Amino acid sequence: MGLLKNVWVFADKASPLAELCAGGRQLGEKVTAVVLGTEESAQQAIKRGADQVYWLGSKAEDKMFEDYTCTIAGLLAKHRPELLLVNASKRTKVVAGRLAAILGASVITNAIEFRTGEHNGDLQVSHIVYGGLAVRLEKPLSDIAIATVGNGVFRAETDSNRQGSIIEPPFVEDSCKLRLLESRVKDTESVNLASAARVVGVGRGIGKQEGLAMVYELAKKLKAEVACTRPVAEEEKWMSPERYIGVSGAMIKPDMYLALGISGQIQHMTGAKGARVIIAVNKDINAPIFEQADYGLVGDMYKVVPALMKNQF
Amino acid sequence: MKVIVCYKVVPEELKIEVNPDRSLSFKNVEWKLSQYDLNAVEAAMQLVEAVGGKASALTVGDQKVENSKLKKSILARGPEDLYLVKDEQLKEADTNLTAAALAGAVMKIGFDLVLCGEGSSDLYAQQVGIQLGELLKVPVINAVSKITPDGDRLIIERSLEDEIEILEVSLPAVLSVTADINVTRLPGMKEILAAGKKPVIEWDLNKIGMGHDLPKVETISTLAPEQVERNKILIEGDSELQIAELVEYIRRELK
Repeated sequence: MGLLKNVWVFADKASPLAELCAGGRQLGEKVTAVVLGTEESAQQAIKRGADQVYWLGSKAEDKMFEDYTCTIAGLLAKHRPELLLVNASKRTKVVAGRLAAILGASVITNAIEFRTGEHNGDLQVSHIVYGGLAVRLEKPLSDIAIATVGNGVFRAETDSNRQGSIIEPPFVEDSCKLRLLESRVKDTESVNLASAARVVGVGRGIGKQEGLAMVYELAKKLKAEVACTRPVAEEEKWMSPERYIGVSGAMIKPDMYLALGISGQIQHMTGAKGARVIIAVNKDINAPIFEQADYGLVGDMYKVVPALMKNQF
Repeated sequence: MKVIVCYKVVPEELKIEVNPDRSLSFKNVEWKLSQYDLNAVEAAMQLVEAVGGKASALTVGDQKVENSKLKKSILARGPEDLYLVKDEQLKEADTNLTAAALAGAVMKIGFDLVLCGEGSSDLYAQQVGIQLGELLKVPVINAVSKITPDGDRLIIERSLEDEIEILEVSLPAVLSVTADINVTRLPGMKEILAAGKKPVIEWDLNKIGMGHDLPKVETISTLAPEQVERNKILIEGDSELQIAELVEYIRRELK
């Protein structure tokens, strides 16, 4: 597989940035990271795989990540990398989209695989479409290809001996005038499902929020992370959105996935199919999940979960 | 306030079939309004009801945008008129070309505010609204969960993964709203009948000043993923013995 000459990466959080730096290493000869944050975070990007960092400094109190779009656009227009990798948060989707419009490119979203051929123009990117029903393979036709990449597509690496340069570009006043009046942190937990070794997921089959207590207890016993389907997070709001598995949520690759009361909708299963072993418990014998599980049990999770807890694994 | 709300005509996902060669078949597919766009329509109507003005609907695409049931369905939800940019070049357009076509139409119509949904329910790129705003060179933001008009500007609440932001946006602007910004209204018989009488303006790419713009990505293939082989061992019941059987399987796997 040939390599691209220049791959640029940026993310609005440290853990996806680390993954993208590793992805950049896999795909390109030279990796450049654009980092907004402490100088320490700029140095981290080098240890994670960047050869060069454009350090935008620490974020000003009254600014958003999005306010640095024109600064980043200027750097990209000058250095013309073949590929820009961006994490898939709501903020960075704004930046990626504006950069695409400025630079005359498209954005390939939710990329799951990259192929680079013998020549520079041979980049092909696959991404999920139709809610997980299909994977679309696309070839970028613009000089710069822009792709957003979800958590877990690349695995972060660390090399503490890595050396690289840090450059501080001047700030370019942004053209998109929005005034940030207030910002508050949502009451959410941080969870990294993508790197969990074991995951217990719940679907609407749980019936009530109170049922979650026993699920958390079982997960603790199994040393597993707790996850859910999109409706449990977004419609019922029983769990934070960070915990839902699916095309637009987390893509997991655990050793074991235990799915409780999950019917097996394609959107969810696309996010879960990276699991080595899938075990499903569902009341409905016709639930599609049984067709996609290694072991299935037709039954009441309120009976099965307490029984499982009595065992040592 | 002159509000334009953009929507996309998408396939009913449940009717897409997978052929033996893993390609997709759309032959039994019905076309529908992308669900998240309906929240944008509702947000537009609530704004116009609050401050006065006019809401127009806009879509771009190939001949599918002509579907008369869908034209009626969007107009029954409140917009006063409907603009269609119909062109075979827009069949399966990428985000870049779609945003460019919308930008051309929006400039021709004139606007204070453009509203989009959080993403289309088929491809869910969540990109078109953003690129549209940048092409129009006006303020643009996504994840808008509340809009409060305040003179010639809007105060918006933005709901991110782990933060809530309050932002001031001057008009004109482009906003993408979340799926939970509102609960959409179902149009009644009166609205559906009235929809048939509302004006529909149809343009092609030439009419909005676009020549032969090409997409910036080429689709090589769209295939259903290869199935991962699973054991599919099924225990049909939750008796003590049957649960013990499951425990045994789990133990064996986790060893």
